[in-house]
Amino acid sequence: MSTALTLWRSVRPGPALGMSVAAVALALLIGALMVALMGVPVGEAVAAFADGAWGSPYALAASINRALVFMLVGLGFVLAERANLTNVGGEGQIAVGGIAATAFALWPPVAGLPFGLAFIVPMLGACVAGALWGGIAGVLKVKAGTNEVIATLLLSFIAVWMVYGSVQSEQLLRRPMTTSATLPESLEIPLATQLPLLLGDASVPLHAGLPIGLVFAVVVAVVLGFTVLGLRLRATGLNARAARRAGMAVDRLTVGVLCAAGALGGLAGACMLQGEQYTLKAGFSSGYGFDGLVVGLLARGSVPGVIAGSLLFGFLRSGGINMEMVAQVPTALVVVIQGLIIVILAGAALAIQRMEARR
Amino acid sequence: MIEPELAAVFVGSSIRLAAPLLLAATGELVSERAGVLNMSVEGMMLTGAFAGAVGSWATGSPVIGLALGVLCVLPVAWLQAFLSITLRANQIVTGIGINILVLGATTLGYRALFGGRSRAEIPGLDKWAPPGLADIPILGEHVFHQTWLLYAAVLLVIGVAWVMRSTSLGLALHAAGTAPQAAANSGLKVTRIRYGAVLFTGFMSALAGCFLSIGDIHTFTEGMTSGAGYLAIAAVIFGNWKLGRTLLACGLFGAATALQFQLPAMGVQVPSALLIMLPYVLALLAVGGLVGRQIAPAALTRPYTGH
Amino acid sequence: MRTEAVTGEAAGATSQDVAPLLRIDGLAKRFGSLQALADVSLALMPGEVHCLLGENGAGKSTLCNLVFGVHSPDAGQMVLDGAPYTPRSPADALNHGIAMVHQHFSLVPDLTVVDNMLLGQSRGVLDRKACAARLETMRERYGLALDPYARIQDLSVGERQRVEIVKCLVREPRLLVLDEPTAVLLPAEIEALLAVCERVAAQGCGVVLVTHKLAEIRLVARRATVLRGGRVVARSDAPAQEIDLLVRAMIQRDLQAPASPLTPERAVKQVAHETLPPREMALLADGLTVRDADGVLRLDNFTLMVAPGEIVAVAGVEGNGQSELGAVLSGMLKPTEGRFHIFGVEMTGQSPKTLTAAGCGVVPEDRHALACVTGMNVAENMMLDRLGRYKKYGLLDREALNRAARDLMQRFDVRAAGPEVAFGGLSGGNQQKAVLARELTLDPLRFLLAAQPTRGLDVGAVEAIYGHIRAVAARGVGVLLISSELEELLAVADRIVVLYRGRLMGSCKADPAERPRIGAWMAGQETLSTAPEEALA
Repeated sequence: MSTALTLWRSVRPGPALGMSVAAVALALLIGALMVALMGVPVGEAVAAFADGAWGSPYALAASINRALVFMLVGLGFVLAERANLTNVGGEGQIAVGGIAATAFALWPPVAGLPFGLAFIVPMLGACVAGALWGGIAGVLKVKAGTNEVIATLLLSFIAVWMVYGSVQSEQLLRRPMTTSATLPESLEIPLATQLPLLLGDASVPLHAGLPIGLVFAVVVAVVLGFTVLGLRLRATGLNARAARRAGMAVDRLTVGVLCAAGALGGLAGACMLQGEQYTLKAGFSSGYGFDGLVVGLLARGSVPGVIAGSLLFGFLRSGGINMEMVAQVPTALVVVIQGLIIVILAGAALAIQRMEARR
Repeated sequence: MIEPELAAVFVGSSIRLAAPLLLAATGELVSERAGVLNMSVEGMMLTGAFAGAVGSWATGSPVIGLALGVLCVLPVAWLQAFLSITLRANQIVTGIGINILVLGATTLGYRALFGGRSRAEIPGLDKWAPPGLADIPILGEHVFHQTWLLYAAVLLVIGVAWVMRSTSLGLALHAAGTAPQAAANSGLKVTRIRYGAVLFTGFMSALAGCFLSIGDIHTFTEGMTSGAGYLAIAAVIFGNWKLGRTLLACGLFGAATALQFQLPAMGVQVPSALLIMLPYVLALLAVGGLVGRQIAPAALTRPYTGH
Repeated sequence: MRTEAVTGEAAGATSQDVAPLLRIDGLAKRFGSLQALADVSLALMPGEVHCLLGENGAGKSTLCNLVFGVHSPDAGQMVLDGAPYTPRSPADALNHGIAMVHQHFSLVPDLTVVDNMLLGQSRGVLDRKACAARLETMRERYGLALDPYARIQDLSVGERQRVEIVKCLVREPRLLVLDEPTAVLLPAEIEALLAVCERVAAQGCGVVLVTHKLAEIRLVARRATVLRGGRVVARSDAPAQEIDLLVRAMIQRDLQAPASPLTPERAVKQVAHETLPPREMALLADGLTVRDADGVLRLDNFTLMVAPGEIVAVAGVEGNGQSELGAVLSGMLKPTEGRFHIFGVEMTGQSPKTLTAAGCGVVPEDRHALACVTGMNVAENMMLDRLGRYKKYGLLDREALNRAARDLMQRFDVRAAGPEVAFGGLSGGNQQKAVLARELTLDPLRFLLAAQPTRGLDVGAVEAIYGHIRAVAARGVGVLLISSELEELLAVADRIVVLYRGRLMGSCKADPAERPRIGAWMAGQETLSTAPEEALA
C-alpha cells in the first residue's frame, strides 16, 4: 500500500512539471515565430519537422535511437543530482565510452566471442571507461574539494580531444591509410560486435541498446525511489554532515555515484558507436552530451521525466535535420530552442523552488 | 638548432593566438573576483565575433564593426547577470544555456545574412607595430607586426590591473567576491558591483570575439570560438585568480596552440590532439590542487542574498 | 536601581534629564516560524556604556541588526535624536552615525588593514598613505595600535577586533554597537577593549556592548538590559552591583514562576567512582583541548569522568566551549590535544559510525545541521543511522520502516500526523523528541551526550525528555548533559561541572544549595574549592 503511494508520489505531476512544459511550449512558440520571420511558411516547417521526427518507421527509429543516448546521459545526471552533484561531463563520458567500445570491438578475440559477448564486452568496456572518467571528478571532489562541475567540464574537453587523437594515429585506432584520402577514422567494427537490430530490418534500425537502456532506466528509478542506497544518496545530497554523523560513508557515496553517472555516459557512447555509426570518428559525440545534460536538468530528478525529455530532444534533433533538408530551416533553430528552454527554466528555478516548498 | 625566423614566427603566432584569450580571461577574472562564474564567456565571444563581422561587412569599416560587437554583447551579458544575480539561478546552467542559445542564434543569423557562403570576405582591422620595433630584423616583422587591437588589449589589461590594485572600485570588486557580507556592512552595494563586473566581462569577451573575426581571420564561421571561452575560464582557474598568473596561462595556452602548427614545420611529430588538450589538462591539474593550493574567491558562484 | 521582570511597557524614564540618543519602542521581528524579537523597548543614552545581555538565541544579534539596518522590523519604531529612524541598509545606518563592530563578516581577510579601512569609504584612486596617517591619529586618541600594512588573516583575533573598532571610529559615530567583542579575546586584550569603550563613551558617543560574558560587565557597564527569548526580562541601572540577579534573569525561564516544574525525584546519587577502574567509566575525558582556526583556545584541558548510570551536567552560559566539547565527543571534531575513552576504548578522532557502534548516542545542539535531514520524512530521520535494517528482497521495506517509526513515535510521544510526514513540518519539541528517540534506542547504548536538549521547547516536552534521560541512566547508561538551563540541571543531574571560557571551573553535587557557587563559576569567578581532586568528585 505504502509502496504504491510512494510510486504515485514519484510520478505525480507537480508545479515543476508544469513549469517544464510551459518552458518548452514557450520556446517552441518563439521558434515558430523565428521560422515565420525567416520567411518560411510555418505550416511547411512544422510538417517537415513532424515528418523527420516520427513521419516514417525509419524516422521514428532514428529519433528513438537518439533519445536513447540522451536518456542514458540524463539518467546519469539525475543520479548524481540526488547526491547534490552536478555532472556536466556527459559529452566526455560518451567520448571515452566510444573509444573503449571501439578498442574492444576491434580487438580480434572479442569478435569471436559467443552468446552475444561479442557486443556485450565492448559495452562493458565502455561502461568501465565512463566510470573511470566520472570517478576522477569524484576523487578530486572528495580529496581536494574540487567543484565537480569544473572538473567534469574540463575532463569533457580532454576526452573529446582524446577521440580526435586516437583516430589520428595508426598506432591507436586509425584505419590503415591505403590512400592519401583515407579519412581519420577507425575501421568499421566487425558485424558481431555491432548491436543486433531488434526487428532484423535495417529500414527500422532499432537496436539492442534500447532494451538495455530501458532496463537501466528502471534500475535507476528503483535505486532512487525504492532502495536504502537511494535514501542514503538523498541524505548526502540534502545534508552531508548529518549523513556523516548518521554513519553513512559520504565520501564513498560521492565517488560511487559519479562513477555510476560516468558509466551510463560511457554506455551511451557505446550505443552510438555499436548501434549506429560503427566507426569511430572525431566529434562523433558532438552536442549529445550537452543535450543529455539539458534532459537531465529538465527532468528535475524524475526518471519518467528523463524518458519524456529525451524523447522530446530526440524528436527535436531528427525533426530539425529534416526541417533543414526539406523546408530550408537551419538546424541551428533547434539549437536556439534548446538554449531558450535551459535559460527559461534556470531563471524560473527560484520560483519553482518556492512553489514546491509550499506544497 | 631552431632557425631564428621560425622562432620569431612561433613567438608571433603565440602572441596572436593568446590575444583573444587574454581579453576574455581578463574580463572573466573581473567577474569571478566579484563572485560570479560566467560560463557564458564562449557565447559572449561568439556574439562579439558575429556582430563585429556583420558590422564590418555591412559598413565596410572594421571599427564600426568593433563598436557593433560591443553593443550587441550588452544584452547577452545583461541576461547572464540578471539570471545569476537577481534570479539567483545556477550560474553554471545559465552560462551553458546562454552559450547554446548564442550558438544557435549566430548560426541562424549568419545563414540569413550570408546565405550558404562558407567564408565571406570581411574588411579586417589594420595591423600596427610600435615604431622602431617593427624594424628589428626578423623579429620585427613576425613578432611586433600585429593587429592594433592586440596593443589596445595590452593597454586594457594594464588598465584593469591598475584599477584592481589602486582604486576603490578594485577594492570593492575584491570584497564583493571574497567577503560580500563585509562589503555590504561597509556600505557597498554588492548586487550593483556584480552586475557591473558581468557587463565588463561581456565587453572584454566581445573584443576577444572581434579579434577573432575581424582582427585575425577576417571572416566569420559558425561556432568559430570553438571552446576558446572555456579556455579563458580554464586560464583564470590555472592563474589562481591572479591577473599576472592568468596572463601567463593565456600565453602558455597560446603557445600550445601555436605549437600545433610549428612542430610539424620543424619536423617534430607530436600528435596535435595532445597539444590541444594541454591547456585543459593544465587547468585540471590546477583545479585538483596539484599545482599549489587553489584559492578561489570565497563567494564564487554563491548568490548573494541581500542588497 | 531596579532589576525586575519587565512587562513590555516603554523603557523606563531615567532620572537624568539627558534625552536618549536612540529610543527603541516595541520592536518585533519574525524569521519564518521563529519570533526572534517581541515587544522590545529600551533607551540608549549618549556618553555611556550600555550592556545588552542574553544567551545565544535571545535576540541580541537580531536587535543589533535591526538597529544597523540589516533587516527591517515587523513592528515598533526607533527614534534617533528625536527623529524617526528607519534604516534600509547598513549604508543608511552608517550615514546616520551608527556604526557596528561585528563578530564576523566585516573584514576582508586577504586585504591589509589600510585596504579594509578604505573599503566603502573612498572614491577614485586609493590614498593609502593618508589612511595610514589617520590610523596613527586613532592610536593617539584611543590607544589602538595597528600595523597599517598587515593583512587581516595574519593578525591575531584581538588585533582584528581592533581593526573593526578603528574602522567604525574613523567615521566619528554617534552610537557604537559592539556585538560580542570579547568572545574571542585574551584577558589582557579584554581589558584594553573595555578601556577603549570607556574612552569612546567619554567623548560623548553612546556605546552598546552586547555580551554574555558577565565578568566584564562589572568593569564598564553603566546600564544593562537582559534579553531572553526575544523579550526584555530585566533592566539595571547599576549592573556592577546586581550581577547575580542579571545571571538569573538570563538563564531562568521565568523569574516569577516557581523554580522548576521538575521535581527532583530521587536523592542525589552518591556514586563512588573513586573505586571504579578507568576501564569501566562510561566516559573518561583527559585533557581535551580545542584550538580553532584562529588559534583561540575554545576548550582548555577538559578532564572529566562519567560513571555508568550517572548524569553529569556541564553548566555554563553558552559559548564557553560547550559546542566544541559536544563536537569532539560526537566524532565531528578532532581535538588539538587530549583523548577520551568510552568504557576503556579510546574514541578520540574516531568516525561517528565507530562511536555509534560503540554505543554512543548523541543529541547535538544544532539538530538541523547535524542530527536530521529536514527534507526527508519522520521515519527516514528517526531511522537515519539504521536504514540498512529495513530491507526486503534487497529493496527498501517502507512498511517495516514506518512500523518501526510509529512504534518509536508512540513510545517517545512524537506527535505527527504519521511517519511519512515531512520532518521539517514537526514542531521543535517533536523534532527533538524524534532525535532523542533515535539516539536512546541505539542498541547497545552505553553513553549518551545531550547538548542543549531542551532549547526552545515547551514545559511538557522538557519533562518528557528528562524523563527518558533519567530512565536510560537508571539502566546504567552514562549521561553527559550540556545545558545552560541551570534549574533543569539541578533537578535532573547528579553532578554539575561548569565551563567558563573553555575551562572547567569547578564541580559539585547537583544540589540547589550550591547555586551561589555555581553562579560564581558561571560568571568566571574562581572560588576557593577548585582543587583538581574536587573537580572529579
